[in-house]
Amino acid sequence: MEMFLTLSGGFAALADWKVLAFMISGFLIGTFFGAMPGLTSVLAIALLLPITYTIDVVPALVMCASIFMAGMYAGSITATTINIPGAPSSMMTAIEGNKLMKKGFGANALGHAALGSMIGGSIGAVLLMAFMPLAAELSLLIRTPGKFSLVLFALVVIVIVDKQNIPKGLAATCLGIMLATVGIDVLQPIPRFNFGTETLVEGIDIMPLVIGAFAVSEVLIQAQNWNSSLEQNLAQVKDVKIRRRDFMPPLSEIREIGLFAYIRSALIGYGIGILPGAGGSMAAFVSYAVARSGSKKAKEYGKGSREGIAAAETANNSMCGGAFVPMLMFGIPGDPTTAIVLGVLVINGLQPGPRLLENQADLLAPMLASLFISALVLIPLTLYLLGPYFVRIVSIPKGLLYSSIAVVALVGSYVATYSTFQMFLALIFGVLAFVMRKQNYSTVSLLLGFILGPDLEQYLRRSLSLNDGNPMVFLTNLDSLFFLGLTVFAIYMILFRKSKALPAPS
Amino acid sequence: MSGSRRFFRPGILFPLFLVLLTVIYTAAAFDIRTQFTGDGEVSPRTVPLLAAACMYFTLLIVIFQEMRHPHEEDEPESGLLRPLLVIAATAAYIVMFRPVGYSLSTLLFVMVLFRIFEFNTRKPLIFILQAVIVTAIFYGLFAGIFGVRLPALIGDVI
Repeated sequence: MEMFLTLSGGFAALADWKVLAFMISGFLIGTFFGAMPGLTSVLAIALLLPITYTIDVVPALVMCASIFMAGMYAGSITATTINIPGAPSSMMTAIEGNKLMKKGFGANALGHAALGSMIGGSIGAVLLMAFMPLAAELSLLIRTPGKFSLVLFALVVIVIVDKQNIPKGLAATCLGIMLATVGIDVLQPIPRFNFGTETLVEGIDIMPLVIGAFAVSEVLIQAQNWNSSLEQNLAQVKDVKIRRRDFMPPLSEIREIGLFAYIRSALIGYGIGILPGAGGSMAAFVSYAVARSGSKKAKEYGKGSREGIAAAETANNSMCGGAFVPMLMFGIPGDPTTAIVLGVLVINGLQPGPRLLENQADLLAPMLASLFISALVLIPLTLYLLGPYFVRIVSIPKGLLYSSIAVVALVGSYVATYSTFQMFLALIFGVLAFVMRKQNYSTVSLLLGFILGPDLEQYLRRSLSLNDGNPMVFLTNLDSLFFLGLTVFAIYMILFRKSKALPAPS
Repeated sequence: MSGSRRFFRPGILFPLFLVLLTVIYTAAAFDIRTQFTGDGEVSPRTVPLLAAACMYFTLLIVIFQEMRHPHEEDEPESGLLRPLLVIAATAAYIVMFRPVGYSLSTLLFVMVLFRIFEFNTRKPLIFILQAVIVTAIFYGLFAGIFGVRLPALIGDVI
């Protein structure tokens, strides 16, 4: 009952014009970044991170949630209209949506994508709110060795989820852990790896890493891939005409897809969201594969299947709710967006965990409400109001766009501490991430290694200290044993079990 | 692929760079002095050394894989010109940011980026005007809306 009242308070908080303005502007920013090929909602939230130093935590979190939801949905816009997924999670939508576009049903495909996103996003947010108190109580049962094994499980999944690149993923994760060890030790008041400088005693802040890895590196990648003729081709896309009335999918088509298909996809997306490192692409892919394997119209897949669009879009938006569970409960982000949201919490002095829900649920409730309202209201509303203009987003000059991103990223780095040292760090991490991306090292693994490294170290050392250095504590402790077993199970399922469906998305 | 090209390419050089970083990191880890040790107490250098050991092992595999299956599509050097120009411009911008102030340094930075991304370079007036507009918009965002004090050369704005 208390939780219900708190959640109601969260919805009431959105009635404040300031908070509402942040939610709507966040949704529009997320739509823009999600729809624009090459830009993602991760980049949008990364650019927002420095601004959270200057605004209250509630509007900052509300804005993050609406960017997340909008970014996940908006990838389907350019995926459908020009066959370039605005976000990686819309890859499957591009396969089906663009085929429909070519047949003259572009608006209908966008309508199905929006409906799927709306249903998936809403179910994901409801599940998040419904199971949060239970998850909080369960997480209280986990003791220090169990927490270590849980963080280890998360790191292992993050590394093996891209099974083509495990050594590089592991190297990126280790690099993240190593960067996180710079500064004061997690248990003793001694500086480490400061190389005699005072600046590094405080450690490396998450902000320049996020800005560098996601914003500066993106500008560098775009500079390398720069092609002015491609820009001219994209500029011609604005001539595509889409009418508002065509957005509403006919009831007969929705019935054909079926309520069960929507709910199944939403549950798949939510479940995958809880897995660390899996993200929206995996959710969309698995849901699409499951829908195809059980479909009566399997032959339509690949040729413009509305069912395929619904499956992929429902799952990737439902993933948003799932990804918040491990982040809020254990400080373990499910994907890069929630990793940055975790940064927002930490910057504002909030420590994720069951105590956060117990003591400061009023700060989190508006964020959960924003996730729900963004899915249920803003997705259809934005499609109806702005749908005909969506396709023009890609015709914005890239020179103007990337120059603006560079300015926001660098000035944003300065804002946090009023120090140009942070700007230099952002540049250094940007160059590092640029090379990593060109060489197929995952920057997401780098970020998650950086975030989870201190927890891994702290729980390992605490567990051993309390048990006279005996590592058997990780096997004799039931919760720890459970997560170690889960780790072995995940390794088996991801690496050794032969998939009957489609090849894994790259 | 010739012998020297087989080794001097980003696929090999980058993990070697990471090995070098890890060597420096390992040396610094051995310098960490613990304040107190008890029974079963894990030293502050233990996890860094474990991470470094894992890094060496992983990079060894990466280098071995790169040697066995070299990627033919390594970027030509000409493709790096624009990113290098962006890096140089950004470094210069950061150096200038405080002494010159937000307005002038950002205006110059935006103009250089416009030039690199070939944005309106054939229309000088529009080129300058749009650079001024971008600079002004982000000044408004940071200083106006979020109340951030940005460095200035003269007065509070310029």
